[in-house]
Amino acid sequence: MSETVTPEATARPLPSWATPDTPEINEDALKALETYKKRDPSKVVVRFKAVGNAPIMKQNFYKITASNRFQAVIQFLRKELGWKAGDPLFTYINLAFSPAPDDTVSNLFKSFCTDGHLIVNYSTTAAWG
Amino acid sequence: MSNYGTTRHHPAAAAPKDRVDYHTTLFRRLSWEGTVPLEIRVDPQELPANSDRGLECYFMQAPRVSYLPLLMPEIRRFLMDVVFDEAAAKSLKEEEWWFECDDGTLLKWHWPIGLIYDSHSILASIRPGASLSATMATPLRLILHLASPPTDKLLLSPSAESCKQAFMGQLKEADFIRWGNTKRITGLRKVDQDGLWEGIKEHNFDDYWRVASKVTPTTAPNRPQSPGPPPSSVSMHGRPPSADASGPSERDGAYNVRSVPVRVYLPDGPVIQDLVPPILEDGTPHTLSHYLSTHVPLLFPPRPPAPPPSRSNPHPQPPSVSELAYPLIQGVLTPPESEMAWLGACLAGADGWLNICVGISKK
Repeated sequence: MSETVTPEATARPLPSWATPDTPEINEDALKALETYKKRDPSKVVVRFKAVGNAPIMKQNFYKITASNRFQAVIQFLRKELGWKAGDPLFTYINLAFSPAPDDTVSNLFKSFCTDGHLIVNYSTTAAWG
Repeated sequence: MSNYGTTRHHPAAAAPKDRVDYHTTLFRRLSWEGTVPLEIRVDPQELPANSDRGLECYFMQAPRVSYLPLLMPEIRRFLMDVVFDEAAAKSLKEEEWWFECDDGTLLKWHWPIGLIYDSHSILASIRPGASLSATMATPLRLILHLASPPTDKLLLSPSAESCKQAFMGQLKEADFIRWGNTKRITGLRKVDQDGLWEGIKEHNFDDYWRVASKVTPTTAPNRPQSPGPPPSSVSMHGRPPSADASGPSERDGAYNVRSVPVRVYLPDGPVIQDLVPPILEDGTPHTLSHYLSTHVPLLFPPRPPAPPPSRSNPHPQPPSVSELAYPLIQGVLTPPESEMAWLGACLAGADGWLNICVGISKK
């Protein structure tokens, strides 16, 4: 490991955590990252509840892969309802808020599950927007 | 104990609850005023005919708490005034514009800019062959495309209005995490709800916090096991007329929430979100190091305990372990002993969420 000070390093002192002694990244850390990247194959129960004039579904409980994004739940719901692109559909958790479409089902379930279900309300008009 | 959380240790009687303490305001202001450098370049293959090439790059410092759709008017003004000719300016549809990072990842409209910057800077730092300069505070290079947005991957339309809706959704989700309901947000008048967004749009700390202080937990010294301040005997005068009619009380304290709204972003990996009680079962405050070692143990292994104190070493330090990863909050390396409740009240983004970006240490 050379102690040469590069012009870049002299131009602006960096905090110690940002200055790599060597450009190498810890292999253990990269391995750990790969482990966390593996998709969780487990499933959680999502319970759909219509709000207002929204049509009810034949079946209300579905097992959905936990690693899916909420966007996938919205798409699934649209398909089940036979909604066309552009038909309005608003989705909420616990009658309270619309999650970000890139929240995962798993994270939402961990934070908001009720009686072992993630309750997803859907409406054709903005309800708690 | 973290020096950063000192306000919590003041005697309970020292300050009436409505007086915002120095540390809280300071850290909230530091988070708010933080900016990141951006370099925005129009995709050269999409530059309209007769554009002034060589000028198609725009540099700006963008507030961390802001959002890409809110930067569009400024970027658009530059492009229209300097780069595009009149005919091209007329034919372009702004609702078809979208951003990509120079590494080819799409930029989501609804992520705070600080979060985009930190997560991409971390990714760049661990890419094979990343040079020292890649990890320095260089501008984040964005490519602006002028047509064919990949709508299914962007998830939202680029309008400021849909970004505002997403922002309100995040505020409510944070409120629900803290209190189990969204009454604080839904109880705001429409003009106040809009005021939050206007405050971000104008990057005005006072406008934003005038409303946000009604929904953000206080950091006053209220702990379930502490006696707490005298009930409402605290003088009412001196409280601004806009203050919550019921008055702030112990129930608003950062250490009394059910859970702190926290998301952990791993480089190019999953986002981890779980309940984060402010106080652990043993009655001690939930610290950042405890949280990371329980939720991301492979990157933040629990530290071995310090040896017992002896005459020769009355204050023993735990044995040092090689660090695999580090936490960045608002772009700042955060001390492991920081308390989650305090972080949530002082270093959260404008949407109420504490975003922790995990970086990978170099050997």
